Amino acid sequence: MAQPEKQRSTIRIYLDILSATAEEGNAKTTRILQRANLPHDRLMKHLAELQKRDLLTEVNNEGNRYYTITTKGQDFVKEVRRAQSFLSAFGVYI
Amino acid sequence: MAPGAAAISAARLSGRRNIEVIHPYFIQNSFLSLVSGSVALAVSYYAFRYRKVTGSSFLRLLSVGFMLLGVGLLAQGSIYLLAEFNVGRFANREALVYGATGVYLVLQSAAYLLIGTGYTIRVQRGQPSDGNGAAAAVVVAQATPLLFGTLVLDVGELVILVLVSFVVFQGIMAYSEQKNRLSLYVLLAFALIALSHLGELLASLLGSGDLYLLGGVAQLTGFCLLLFFVNRSGRVGSA
Repeated sequence: MAQPEKQRSTIRIYLDILSATAEEGNAKTTRILQRANLPHDRLMKHLAELQKRDLLTEVNNEGNRYYTITTKGQDFVKEVRRAQSFLSAFGVYI
Repeated sequence: MAPGAAAISAARLSGRRNIEVIHPYFIQNSFLSLVSGSVALAVSYYAFRYRKVTGSSFLRLLSVGFMLLGVGLLAQGSIYLLAEFNVGRFANREALVYGATGVYLVLQSAAYLLIGTGYTIRVQRGQPSDGNGAAAAVVVAQATPLLFGTLVLDVGELVILVLVSFVVFQGIMAYSEQKNRLSLYVLLAFALIALSHLGELLASLLGSGDLYLLGGVAQLTGFCLLLFFVNRSGRVGSA
């Protein structure tokens, strides 16, 4: 679906981060950085917020830091995609 | 005299006549209004639910707009049925029906104004404004004095018709951008709702019960199309 180019909203950034994490399974910060196309400091801020909301969990495995989407995060992604589909019918984008 | 002018004169003579003409269709239309109102509330619920996730101001306006539509339709349908079956043993049923219709028209006007405002915000934020909102406001301002002196309820219907037409126009713009089925469903739904208001206005002016019933059917079909749209858009996240 074509979407006009404009500054991404916070909810859109959350969706991009969570979608990337869901697709990767256990996602490293560098991988999420590439997929979400964000500077490191902003990504860390968003990751902290998503963890605070129980949408993501941090996993430390042999010194490597991974992020995994939670069940609540998966539900959130589904709901935002539904909202996106609903809004796009009115020509509105999140 | 042109048929339209004759009808307007007839309508000016007596509002009582209109109620008598459409009276046999009250029960059918009341049930259609109740179902349409329930669907409008369902759409309002989904807009509210998605607003909680996205924080979209457009969805807030849409949610309140459809809530007003739903409440208006449910109130109108219920009061018509109560009056028809004389449940409350009302002393003046005709005044009650006029009152219910008046409340319904006010709620509908407020609802379409909110939905239209939502679309205007969308246009202003998403792309350069072409002044459609201002144009609609001018049409409303010009239409009201022209009809001054005719039945207030008919003027109310006309104002709603202008507001819904504005929403339909915005729907056409959204569809021309998107060209997808979901925006087509929304466009067709609002077009049918606009037709229903046109039907109800003509029913009142021409004193036609059939047009009144057709208006109710068109409105219900429009709301069912919106329900179908909500259902289809809800499947996206589940896929």
